[in-house]
Amino acid sequence: MINKNLVVLIILIFALFFSQENLLCANEKLSDSTTSAEISIQNNSEEHTLPELFMVLPFVVLLLMIATGPLFYHHFWEKYYPLISILLGLITVLYYLFFLHDTHSLLHTASEYLSFIALLSSLFVASGGILIKVDKKATPWLNAGILLFGSVIANIIGTTGASMLLIRPFIKINKDRIKPYHIIFFIFLVSNIGGCLTPIGDPPLFLGYLRGVRFFLVITEVWYIWLPTILVVTAIFIIIDSRNKSTAEQDVTYSGKIEFKGMRNVFYLVVIIVSVFIDPAVMSWVPKLNPLPIGIREIIMFSMVVIAYKTADEYVLKSNEFNFEPIKEVAYLFVGIFATMIPALQLISHEANVLGEQLTPGIFYWATGLLSAFLDNAPTYLNFLSAAMGKFGMDVNLPSEVLKFERLHPIYISAISVAAVFFGAMTYIGNGPNFMVKSISERSGIKMPSFFGYVIKYSFPILIPIFTIVWLVFYFGKV
Amino acid sequence: MKSLDEILQNNTNGIYYGSRVLLPFHFTALKIVIENDIITDFSIREKGAYVNEYSDYTEIYFMDYPNFEANISKYENIKMIIVEKGKDIFDFANHRKIAIRPEGNHILSIKELDENTIFIE
Repeated sequence: MINKNLVVLIILIFALFFSQENLLCANEKLSDSTTSAEISIQNNSEEHTLPELFMVLPFVVLLLMIATGPLFYHHFWEKYYPLISILLGLITVLYYLFFLHDTHSLLHTASEYLSFIALLSSLFVASGGILIKVDKKATPWLNAGILLFGSVIANIIGTTGASMLLIRPFIKINKDRIKPYHIIFFIFLVSNIGGCLTPIGDPPLFLGYLRGVRFFLVITEVWYIWLPTILVVTAIFIIIDSRNKSTAEQDVTYSGKIEFKGMRNVFYLVVIIVSVFIDPAVMSWVPKLNPLPIGIREIIMFSMVVIAYKTADEYVLKSNEFNFEPIKEVAYLFVGIFATMIPALQLISHEANVLGEQLTPGIFYWATGLLSAFLDNAPTYLNFLSAAMGKFGMDVNLPSEVLKFERLHPIYISAISVAAVFFGAMTYIGNGPNFMVKSISERSGIKMPSFFGYVIKYSFPILIPIFTIVWLVFYFGKV
Repeated sequence: MKSLDEILQNNTNGIYYGSRVLLPFHFTALKIVIENDIITDFSIREKGAYVNEYSDYTEIYFMDYPNFEANISKYENIKMIIVEKGKDIFDFANHRKIAIRPEGNHILSIKELDENTIFIE
């Protein structure tokens, strides 16, 4: 079942790209005779017809199924989620191909999806070949230290890399006292909020960087929001963890040693991180591989997947119980999410452009944030950046204007960046690594809360008050 | 009937057919993790895992995995917390963590879970 789906998926993506030229011709011929909504939007330098509102339905259905499947029809969902995700995605793809004749949006989304999955899968496989053994007694302070360390290194090796590297040692240290909240705070800090300081940290910031936002702008504009947020979330964790009285047997002695295996894979991680910058938008000498849907960067990343897996230490893979299921789950679900969210994002982008004058940094913060909790935060970030720049008559596609915008109105970039990254922690689907961490935890025997359980028991009571304070202190009343 | 220790020392295998696993010792299952499924309820015949004890072996039906060989990847195991029959189930020292995995040709390896593999009780 899964292999057939994979073949369909690959054929679909490549067929889209190789039919680009023919379809673009059709696009021109048919653009006058469209019967769909008559409003056009400006997005990525191409004119597109807006989709009908009902085309948001596949996205809503997919989100609802992701939320309810594991809860109410677990085994049906487990068996058929790849097919459901692809079929719902196909509805949107076919609508864009045959009703809107808009291949640009599809190609752009497919390209973003492949970049997304290349980065996630390469970091997942490379870090899966690294084994960290920490022989220390678990305490709230040691745990807090790991969470803070993870939050910092998420800015160097990405939230995915940091999550994959640290989740197993984190579970292992706490094996005698672990509860779901340990994993959830790990998702909050290491898999999301931590990675808000650099473009490597989280994909949306990287998209901004590719558009011309300076590499260090996020640090200078966000560190004073990042630091207190991280500290407050960690403090809440320490309070909760201090009440956890489960302990190991008293006669256990700890050597205090930290062992590290899989140095070769650290090198692969470095290659992946460096390859992030091998992009024609960053380095002019890097060739574009049109009409291929991927670039040099993605080729390097996918090569790293193969090399890292083939050359990994078997002992480490066995110890980590390495398997491709978590990344496969992300790949299948996000292909549906990426495809079905195209209409939602275009409609939102259009509304944001229409309402531009009335939109303040505070509104951008909440709008970007709430959508990033349920949509992929990378395109959400870009659409709201585009809308914020449109408010001042600037074009997100011109790096010189992006540079001008960040100098004149840094608060907008700050609000959109912070919201896109922070709110990714609100749900399991808010960010790629969330799912992976959940899956690894469940395979380790930890019963994780359902989609709604996560949101109601943890995100709402812990994150929403903190994010509200962030809004009140940094964005409320600003224009 | 061999003890679990004898089975582990002698590398004795179990066998499997489809979703049915036969293990050559008697035990009470407390927790089984297969893929993302954490099974702790062994009373339902229709889903999860259903355990039967016979004079020479214990069998488990994995109701949701008609061919679980296809579901277990190269480096993964089915992880179980069990207590050998006759041992005090309320003494945590008797809770043993074992890993079983299909090796092909209906052969099922049985190993004590090594210290590196994370399995939370």
